Amino acid sequence: MRARDNPFAVQRVLEVRYRLSGTTWEALMERLVALRFRAALVGPHGSGKTTLLEDLEPRLQRQGFRLRKLTLHEGDRRLSASQRRDLFQDLSPSEILLLDGAEQLGRFAWLEARTRSRAAGGLVVTSHRPGLLPTLCECRTTPELLDGILRELLEDAPSPPADELFRRHGGNLRDALREMYDLYAEATSSAAARTGSPSPAGR
Amino acid sequence: MEAIQETIQVETRDGANAFLPGEVVEGTVSWQLAIPASRAELRLFWYTEGKGDQDLKIVETVAFANPERQDRRGFSVRLPEGPFSFSGKLISLLWALEVVLDPGSRAERLVLTVSPTRREILLPTTSEVSGASPR
Repeated sequence: MRARDNPFAVQRVLEVRYRLSGTTWEALMERLVALRFRAALVGPHGSGKTTLLEDLEPRLQRQGFRLRKLTLHEGDRRLSASQRRDLFQDLSPSEILLLDGAEQLGRFAWLEARTRSRAAGGLVVTSHRPGLLPTLCECRTTPELLDGILRELLEDAPSPPADELFRRHGGNLRDALREMYDLYAEATSSAAARTGSPSPAGR
Repeated sequence: MEAIQETIQVETRDGANAFLPGEVVEGTVSWQLAIPASRAELRLFWYTEGKGDQDLKIVETVAFANPERQDRRGFSVRLPEGPFSFSGKLISLLWALEVVLDPGSRAERLVLTVSPTRREILLPTTSEVSGASPR
């Protein structure tokens, strides 16, 4: 199968938006206001924290905030001089800082970020662990959630059972969808993939 | 008052969507907008799709001055010599023309194929390569 026909191509996966469970955007935004826009989205790898943060961005902008965003990667224990400048220079209350992957920061870097962010109108982070800031939303994954995403990406095509895939990846939906990419890439033709034969579901 | 149905179109001359490297692509863009555009431009670019992060490079931009709420403009852009349109299992490279109207980044895209054969180059799979007879 051509990469561009693969239903699990990264670009298609990125179009899948966060599915709130047990709450609504209205309730989430009310809670964020109550927390004075200082809050964390918490959850394990591949649970949708980054997607949820992305979905939060336009809602914050509609409230009149300008956003400064930094994505931290594995091993980013401290902020570089340019990152600190981009994040903290001339901060104003009409701005909100977004830190994706805040748990990567070392203790002192995090303390600096938290302290200097007080000049901003808010600080919203994603983190694998709770405790950095009050938890706004705990991102959880379930086999049902994965099943819904598989159906969305596969549209009318048969969807493979999500339970085993979910278990195999310990609930990490990103990794589960990568496995699905590989399975579909191995399908001999797009027609075969559309009909589910050879079926990745059979794995 | 009846709401205007927004439409945005990119069309090449004769509806062609496969071209040779270096060839000139001519066509028209047209739009009918509910909210007037303050900026309108056509972008010629290539991008990747597949398993990894997306790469994208805009190679030419054509700005349309003073866009009207309902408008139609001609364009002519020369394609570069490469890269060619191709697909493998892990990555595809596609060319496209896209008209973008601000505010709102309203856009319409037309995917093109650019290669010496005017057809997408299909990369052989690993098994096809390893199964090929030695020269």
